Amino acid sequence: MPGSGSLRLGVLYPLEMNLYGDRGNVLALVRRAALRGVELEVRTLGLDTGDPDDIAACSGFLIGGGQDLDQLALAHDLVAGKGPALREQVADGAPLLAVCAGYQLLGEHYRTAAGDLIPGLGILPLRTEAGRRRLVGNVLVAANAGLGLANPLLVGFENHSGRTILEPGLSPLGKVVRGRGNDGESGLEGAVLGSVLGTYLHGPLLPKNPALADWWLFTAADRAGTTVDRSQLDDSAEEAARREAIRITLSGSRTRGYRLLGRRPRIRRTG
Amino acid sequence: MSRPDPRMRLAILGGKLTARASRSLRMGGGTTLPGDVARAIDPLVLRKLGASPGRGTVLVTGTNGKTTTSALLRQIAAAAGWRAGGNQSGSNLIYGLTAAAIAQADLRGRMELDWLVLEVDELSAAAAAREMQPQILVVLNAFRDQLDRSFEVDQVAARLGEAVAALPPTAAAVLNSDDPRIAALAGPPKALLFGIEDRGVDRGGLPESADRPVCPRCGGSLQFGAVYYGQCGDYRCPACGWSRPTPSLRVTRVLTAGLDHVELTLEGPGGGAGPLEVPLAGAHNAANVAAAALAALEMGATWDQIGRGLRAFRPAFGRSQVVRWGQGQVRLLLAKNPAGMQASLEAVLGGDSGPVLGLALNDGIADGTDISWIWDVEFERLAADGPRWIVVSGRRAAELGLRLRYAGVDGSRLLLRPAPEEALDELAERAAPGMPAPALLTYTAMLAWHRAVVGTGEAEPFWREG
Repeated sequence: MPGSGSLRLGVLYPLEMNLYGDRGNVLALVRRAALRGVELEVRTLGLDTGDPDDIAACSGFLIGGGQDLDQLALAHDLVAGKGPALREQVADGAPLLAVCAGYQLLGEHYRTAAGDLIPGLGILPLRTEAGRRRLVGNVLVAANAGLGLANPLLVGFENHSGRTILEPGLSPLGKVVRGRGNDGESGLEGAVLGSVLGTYLHGPLLPKNPALADWWLFTAADRAGTTVDRSQLDDSAEEAARREAIRITLSGSRTRGYRLLGRRPRIRRTG
Repeated sequence: MSRPDPRMRLAILGGKLTARASRSLRMGGGTTLPGDVARAIDPLVLRKLGASPGRGTVLVTGTNGKTTTSALLRQIAAAAGWRAGGNQSGSNLIYGLTAAAIAQADLRGRMELDWLVLEVDELSAAAAAREMQPQILVVLNAFRDQLDRSFEVDQVAARLGEAVAALPPTAAAVLNSDDPRIAALAGPPKALLFGIEDRGVDRGGLPESADRPVCPRCGGSLQFGAVYYGQCGDYRCPACGWSRPTPSLRVTRVLTAGLDHVELTLEGPGGGAGPLEVPLAGAHNAANVAAAALAALEMGATWDQIGRGLRAFRPAFGRSQVVRWGQGQVRLLLAKNPAGMQASLEAVLGGDSGPVLGLALNDGIADGTDISWIWDVEFERLAADGPRWIVVSGRRAAELGLRLRYAGVDGSRLLLRPAPEEALDELAERAAPGMPAPALLTYTAMLAWHRAVVGTGEAEPFWREG
């Protein structure tokens, strides 16, 4: 267990699960921890690394998005290899933030378009099936009040063919204000259970949602008994990026680009 | 075209009238809609026109470098005394190709052209190859691009493989031996390979933006002895032993100091060229030059003609194009995806490019509405190095500014100027005398900046046929 003044972030499969700028989430946590007087050490938990001792030494975890093929390749390592140690850590209160494909892998299973059943960790009571059309675009989510976020309006971008259905009783991360969310129908986005948070929002998620980065840091610090400065930071650059993203999401104008081109958009089938 | 084909003629007429109407109504350059109309009248119109150029058709595809490579090829063709036409406007889906072919044809479908050189979108390449039956297909690379609508990169490579497979038996595929996914496409009909062989431009490892390098043969992890740009370099698979195939045309020397030009030496087959200066920036453009030279050899050009064509080359729209703004000059560099942005950024940092750099990020359909890719570009290199000032522009300027701050760039170096005009003002004002300020721009940002410059009369509209 890291001593006072330092925390350790375990990044799961950074090589395979980094499709949508997920590296930005790591940068946000490291930067924010430093501003709050804590050193955040980053440890890679990849296909060839991350034994149970490594996992036990981490204060919290991140897992990002990846292509279907990559997801299939590492599902076994995650479920059978790292699963037991990881489950123990989050049961003890270590934060785990999972984005997109990582979110799907925390559920019971993911059924791909080809019909393959990818087993999940089963940490979150949910399941995912590939849908016909991808759900793509900017998203605004009103976060679950239970998280106690300083700013409960989350901004991000989604791009997934999976339709995720939560079991009754599982809390969503929040309600969709703009965008599609878990399944495009329920109006719900993501899932939260204890210190585990799953979502389809990338963009990446944490730089534009500093309140959520703080949730991760404070959860990790509480559990590790590490002191962090919890005062309000100067988030003016983050706020500017949020305002820009919110304005574009609300305007919903996605046509400007092709009008300039004199070209009409061709909708392509995506995998 | 010996027998009259009324349906095709009607399609051509319809396309030409649409092009004229579209331009006079200022709906744009008339670069796509004519293709829609013509194909609605005769779905086989492109198939029929594919046989019209005197010598043949060349298709150029890949994620990055299509426009530049096609322009290089047309320049070499001109040096060889051939009449060459194409889709200089960059409309490269099947409708854009149809519109370009119609623009080149007369009402009977005849073309006063030796070669039709067309750049083709990666996902349209297979359809274009099937319809047009080209003599040559050039495949440059496959990178992550427009994640919100594109296929995953492996699927793009699979579609490029379909394009190679659709070639007629007498055709040749000109392939990049440095990109593992593209080199693996070598097979029938005939494969010709080009590649870089100068460790002087090895960047010493894969960039963050590169995908996990997977062996196309066995799925193992590739190991790289050198990386030039993206996942392109010298590689081998320890698991199955597959390695980079030896190219027949090699770039044996690449000198990339500054953004004005690259100095290149090309070797084989049957001769070589250089050292010669080509007004393009960065190692990735060395590959584009090699691709064009190898395709030109296959077209029947001599090394002497290739050398003359390359020396006479002037950059295509927004590809290292220098424009005047007020008292200063700005160099426009298209950077539409992480591999392109990374390569251009390295070109900027590779030499003295002056005290100010422009970056512009838009999130239109043509840019990709998902901008998360900027977090995979190694802007960290700007933290300790690079220009004193960074002008940040575009519809997502604030997000780009945030990315730069998280990369460790001091906020006092950042000038947020979302509108093209104010960004151009800032760049022109701060540029060193006689040294154009470089600006890296996504696609619609490039169009917007270009329109601003056209408005002052300092550049031609982009659809003007060369």
